[in-house]
Amino acid sequence: MADEELELYIHSQGAKPKIAVARPHEVLRDVLVREEIIRQGQDDVLIFVGEWDEALTEADEIEDGEDRHDPVDVLVTVEVLELRRHRHVHVHKCRRVRVEINFNGQTKHHRFSPATTIAVVTRWARKKFRLDGAAGAEYVLRICKTDKQPRPSEHLGELVSAPACAVCFDLVKEITPQG
Amino acid sequence: MDTPDQRLFDADVASAEFRAGALKGYWGLAGAGILPEQPAWPMRVLWIAAASRPNAPDRYYVRLDLSNYRTVAPTGTFWDPSTKDTLDLAKRPKGRSNSRFAMVFRTDWEGGRAFYHPYDRVAAQGHTNWPGEQPSLIWDSNHTIVDCLEEFHSLLNCGDYLGL
Repeated sequence: MADEELELYIHSQGAKPKIAVARPHEVLRDVLVREEIIRQGQDDVLIFVGEWDEALTEADEIEDGEDRHDPVDVLVTVEVLELRRHRHVHVHKCRRVRVEINFNGQTKHHRFSPATTIAVVTRWARKKFRLDGAAGAEYVLRICKTDKQPRPSEHLGELVSAPACAVCFDLVKEITPQG
Repeated sequence: MDTPDQRLFDADVASAEFRAGALKGYWGLAGAGILPEQPAWPMRVLWIAAASRPNAPDRYYVRLDLSNYRTVAPTGTFWDPSTKDTLDLAKRPKGRSNSRFAMVFRTDWEGGRAFYHPYDRVAAQGHTNWPGEQPSLIWDSNHTIVDCLEEFHSLLNCGDYLGL
């Protein structure tokens, strides 16, 4: 039981997530090499684990805040990294993703962990623009100058690439189907 | 032998996006406790978790027709695990009046046999204005069952969902 395989969800920049199967005693780097996520000896990427929602506790008056999510040591085992609990592994060249959100003539900024979901960014934006509660439920993020609305479960790291490490959203009211 | 559309659906159910959502308890295929086995393809029964509301279930089941999956959008409606049939309109989830929720899950259109949403092919076929109004929600072969599940899961967990 203690050595039972577990399923990990591996997220990389600009790619759909992949499933990797790992055992608790395995070193995370070995899992990522075996799954061809990184190359042996590759040291130009940062590895984050879990899904990060620190921004939701940020005080309303803070402008241009930044998450404190640290990358992990990839030479540590799956068990020590508590991946049975965290499950999500993010392989990225960006330490932070600079997010700009426009709404009603105002702009808010935050530097998020790449392991932040669009659902969390949306909740953060609704809070910052004081759209909490049922009235805010219909507001969603749309990538600036496009008609793309990322899914709530997508992670910022899947949307951006280095060296830009930035994305701009408009907070828009979702259209109610009619006609 | 499985058809190409069924194989594509099975692959999407095995994807990281579907599995991660299932692990969080957001959605899944109806299990053996509900159905001894899934209906014949192209029909599938899935469940979607809903926010806690007084006297309302913690999940809703949907029965989807997935013919020509991915090339063509799914269609379907709520399903009752106790009667193994379409869910009575009275037992459908209710939303705040005039909200997007209330519109998507409306029961006064097509007898409630489809979702009033661009991801439902019955609804999409009858609304040629939707591609211009909601381009990000127009189904194409890059969409998967996870897009549908996320959309409906978001609605069933938003503040406009009132319960039964």
